[in-house]
Amino acid sequence: MRKYVARRLLLFVPTLLGASLLIFVLLRLVPGDIAEILVYQSGTESSAIQQKQVQQIRAELGLDRPVAIQYLVWLGDALRGDFGYSYTQRRPVSEIIKERFPRSMELAILTLLVAIAWGIPLGVISAARQNTWIDYTVRVVSISGLSLPIFFTGVLILWALVKFFRWMPPLEFVALTEDPLENLKQFVWPTLAQAYYISAPIMRLTRSQMLEVVRQDYVRTARAKGLGHYAVVYRHALRNSLLPVVTFIGWWGGRLLGGIVIMEIIFAIPGMGTALVQAVNYRDYPTVQAIVFVMALIFLSLNLLVDLLYGWLDPRIRYT
Amino acid sequence: MADRTGVAFDVAVETTAAVPDGPARVAGRWIVRFAARQPLGVVGAVIVLALIITAIFAPQLAPHGPKDAAFAQHRPPSAEFPMGTDHLGRDILSRVIWGARLSLYVGLASVAFGVTLGALWGVVAAYFGGPADSASQRLVDMLMALPPIILALSLMAALGQSVNNVIIALAVLLIPTAARTLRSVTLSIKESPYVEAARAAGCSHGRVILLHILPNTLATYIVLVTVNIAYAIVVEAALSFLGLGAPPDEPSWGGMLTAGTDALEAAPWTIFFPGLAISLTVFGLNLLGDAIRDMTDPRLRGGLG
Repeated sequence: MRKYVARRLLLFVPTLLGASLLIFVLLRLVPGDIAEILVYQSGTESSAIQQKQVQQIRAELGLDRPVAIQYLVWLGDALRGDFGYSYTQRRPVSEIIKERFPRSMELAILTLLVAIAWGIPLGVISAARQNTWIDYTVRVVSISGLSLPIFFTGVLILWALVKFFRWMPPLEFVALTEDPLENLKQFVWPTLAQAYYISAPIMRLTRSQMLEVVRQDYVRTARAKGLGHYAVVYRHALRNSLLPVVTFIGWWGGRLLGGIVIMEIIFAIPGMGTALVQAVNYRDYPTVQAIVFVMALIFLSLNLLVDLLYGWLDPRIRYT
Repeated sequence: MADRTGVAFDVAVETTAAVPDGPARVAGRWIVRFAARQPLGVVGAVIVLALIITAIFAPQLAPHGPKDAAFAQHRPPSAEFPMGTDHLGRDILSRVIWGARLSLYVGLASVAFGVTLGALWGVVAAYFGGPADSASQRLVDMLMALPPIILALSLMAALGQSVNNVIIALAVLLIPTAARTLRSVTLSIKESPYVEAARAAGCSHGRVILLHILPNTLATYIVLVTVNIAYAIVVEAALSFLGLGAPPDEPSWGGMLTAGTDALEAAPWTIFFPGLAISLTVFGLNLLGDAIRDMTDPRLRGGLG
């Protein structure tokens, strides 16, 4: 187990650094760097003075140095928690991250919890009552959840709220620590909208795994030795069906984070997603770079956690 | 929903019908078998066919131009405008019809580039193995460390907004998955006796890859293509919805949804029809993709995204 953990951890850091390097180089390839954007904002003809200003800003920001050096400088600063300065928001990027990270995480965790709390029991019920109307209903509802893109579900929910309840996304964001109830009121709709989508594959996977596991010998043994229906389904079958579901959650972590961006935009939650879209729109590269880095960190950590959990749940994995 | 017994049956049919047939009859029989075994796949195929026809004949089918802002703004659905008009007074029906063309074009082009490049990358890396293979695997890891929408957004930030750049961004998104899948398939093919025989007979590496390995990865490749077209279409719509995909005047279903969100209460038809178009397309492609996946290789069920 220790060797397994060590190997996973050894891959973690280079992958994260590599991903951040990819984005760094990508954003440096763009024609028109921040110096030009700052100077030519007014849209006037380029004069000798302006060109000199551009040179000056580049020198100040270190943009005239080779990309490799720039990256190392960025990385050194980032490791100390300094992600540069956002010219559009006029404050340090680390401040933006510190403010918005908890909001996006809250949305992601709530969504995942609701999706699991909804998807796994439905999958079990559907499998236990295979080919009955309950099974069919659950499956139709979940397949339709997969076909509706989350931005459409989100907009539909927003429309229904506006139309029938006269509810609009609040203009002021309330933090969980300030007023938990008011805060959850803001999160409930985006959470449900995305959980509907994410729960569909969780339900389908739980169902097919249960159906497969139920046909295994040890389940028959459990029944033969006289265990009750619930003990067999929940203690023997469900536990072993959950393994692939665990991997799956890691697999879909990326879609979850992408969905968070979309939900934040629709329901006006000022999280990392809204900040990212805004930064991309205004070509605020330090902010883009930092948010992508944090997102990759979350995504990789989730995958690492899932891998470790999987190794812990299934002893066969550790020794390969 | 083919189960395991269906697979055994499949093998039996093929061994008894060993009489040589023309390709047309083989294809015809495959379609009949597909229809019999995968009724939901047929529903998907009909939807996809309707989508393709709409996309091809968009200029003939659409009553107005997709960018003609020539009518009253936010008109509700009526006989004249079956889906109403949008905030600039454009006919939504025409935009939805042209949107089919845009979606299909972006979906097909990005998958053709992305999956093909990824597949070649995976095959070549697995075939030669060694440090180059390991290095390329680490690169795939890095690309996969970025959540898809986030990677697409950063690519759009660097490339700038245009339909062709959306295609490039989506292709980059698809490359790592395709490379990884095809790599694992090639690793097993590479060890098979016929590859060894081909090498022993003096075939060059290029010839072995082209004539002996690539044809055997075709089934996996086709499955990857069908599964990912729906995915590419959704991501395109999501990017356009976020205002960072196709430019706003292009008839993208995702972009139409965004425009509609601003006038949700006054003109809900501006979101219903484009949203339904995306959902129906995704539904049809998913049904067809699932069915093709079940038919071509039962082992792949549930494994791919």
